[in-house]
Amino acid sequence: MSTARIDRASSPMNGRQDGETRRKRKIADITQALNVDPVDVATLRRMAISEGGLLTDEIRCQVWPRLLNIPPHLLDQEPEKVERDNNKDYNQVLLDVQRSLRRFPPGMPDEQREGLQEELIDIILRVLQRNPQLHYYQGYHDIVVTFLLVVGERLATVLVEKLSTHHLRDFMDPTMDNTKHILNYLMPIIERVNPEVQDFMQQAEVGTVFALSWLITWFGHVLSDFRHVVRLYDFFLACHPLMPIYFAAVIVLHREEEVLDCECDMAMVHHLLSQIPQDLPYETLISRAGDLFVQFPPSELAREAAAHESMATSTFKDFELASTQQRPDIVLRRRRRQKQASPESSTLSPVMTVAQPSTARRFVRLAVMGLTVALGAAALAVVNTALEWAPKLDLFP
Amino acid sequence: MAESGSSAELSGSLTLPPPRTRIFKIIVIGDSGVGKTCLTYRFCAGKFPEKTEATIGVDFRERLVEIDGEKIKIQLWDTAGQERFRKSMVQHYYRNVHAVVFVYDVTNAASFRSLPAWIEECKQHALGTEVPRILVGNKCDLQDSVQVGTDVAQQFADAHSMPLFETSAKSPNSLGDGNYRNSDHVEAIFMTVAHKLKSQKPLVLSQPPEGSGGTVILSGGRNDGGDGGKGWSCSSC
Repeated sequence: MSTARIDRASSPMNGRQDGETRRKRKIADITQALNVDPVDVATLRRMAISEGGLLTDEIRCQVWPRLLNIPPHLLDQEPEKVERDNNKDYNQVLLDVQRSLRRFPPGMPDEQREGLQEELIDIILRVLQRNPQLHYYQGYHDIVVTFLLVVGERLATVLVEKLSTHHLRDFMDPTMDNTKHILNYLMPIIERVNPEVQDFMQQAEVGTVFALSWLITWFGHVLSDFRHVVRLYDFFLACHPLMPIYFAAVIVLHREEEVLDCECDMAMVHHLLSQIPQDLPYETLISRAGDLFVQFPPSELAREAAAHESMATSTFKDFELASTQQRPDIVLRRRRRQKQASPESSTLSPVMTVAQPSTARRFVRLAVMGLTVALGAAALAVVNTALEWAPKLDLFP
Repeated sequence: MAESGSSAELSGSLTLPPPRTRIFKIIVIGDSGVGKTCLTYRFCAGKFPEKTEATIGVDFRERLVEIDGEKIKIQLWDTAGQERFRKSMVQHYYRNVHAVVFVYDVTNAASFRSLPAWIEECKQHALGTEVPRILVGNKCDLQDSVQVGTDVAQQFADAHSMPLFETSAKSPNSLGDGNYRNSDHVEAIFMTVAHKLKSQKPLVLSQPPEGSGGTVILSGGRNDGGDGGKGWSCSSC
């Protein structure tokens, strides 16, 4: 209720012509950012986040590799041949890809679709083959198919490989413990914005598994309109790896009235939330997710997320073994440990202080949120955060 | 959603709870691709789904049935088959489960060989022996590629004190007229479980009369070992 309807704030209705002008200007800006030397990645990120995202697949082919910081020489590599026999993941991948008919455009001829499905299998197996530390999960195919359909097999292979060793890395562990840990960020975010909703969900004991497919497929599994999926991918590729969980929170918050009207029962709430509405106001939600990220950065939520976890230290070994590769969950853990170790945070029980944010503070933040959404300031701030993250390993300076 | 029956007139009796829609919670497990989603969809929607996809995490479906004049809500929890989802993700959904349906694919011997692991899984989630279990061999319409014979499956079912059903969620008997009910066992499978649960008496949770407030849990009374109709209590797990 307090996060009242601000859906219209971000897109003033100035008619179609104005929209076309803005679109042209955006394309010009993107082209320019691509043509300067060195490429202006900051601008590209901002373009990917701001209204409409990257607009066309043609642009995406050029910009997505930049967002993932892929060296140009890798883009021309011919994908290597794939060994299908003796591949431990082949059966599962085949099963999932064969069933993924809904991911392809409705009018596509069977033959063409089947060809793409073959390519899809190849990309997945190729990435897994080259990175034995990665483990396939059901839903990974939903991510890969999005890249395949937008940029084609060759480029998709490169992008997906990079993504798998970074944004998706935690999901590809031998177990899903780290994925579960990331899901634990959901409730603290919801709590900051609407404690009533969080209370309700807690009482219903709904858990967070309703958002699992959202998170690990970047919503590719649950949104039926491919344009929406791609728009979200623009956003996620330009942002921090934990952004999908903020977006998940924003969707729940967007439906707060429905949630509170629902019977307070695990099955009912799970059912309600897992049926994602297909007519979400994506641009507004994207903007709001960026806003929440800025106001309640992961570092601030890390401690609470950990409190949800019964075995916070059990994956410590994973942390120690991890390569220098950046993995969102790992970085959060490190951050948390540093905080715990630092003397200034030791006086009061920090869990207590975090658990009871004052109402006044919350109202101030909500006011700020409305404002930043309207101004698109959130997008800028997220870009800045993302920039800090992109070139180096230290995620939260 | 609340199928609240008449709730006001309970004044006289002190012991009986007010009439409510009882809920039977059934979890459906088994390897990836055996047809868990199809089966649950078939039962709840009454038809074979055109396209099913991999289930990620847990899906939920329900259907209201009437048994001996009592309205009962059957909740089916359709789980992901891939092993990595079992441990950290699905465990939450084993809580307060009233019955388990194990599914294998008759055309896929490996899915049958996995059954002991699934039974072990149930054990790990502390599902007691009083929780009814049934075994379902799916896809028996594909007669030419059967890998798991009925006799072998029956042996296994007997050894684990479960009834066995062989079925096809995609029944060839339906003649494409859209009416799949009664053309195979899918209906019977879940109704059998529901009858069984209903006969277990005081059971379980129910839904509050006015769909608000917390769900009342009237557990207890499930351990009435006297009931054990043939082959229902699972001795080995």
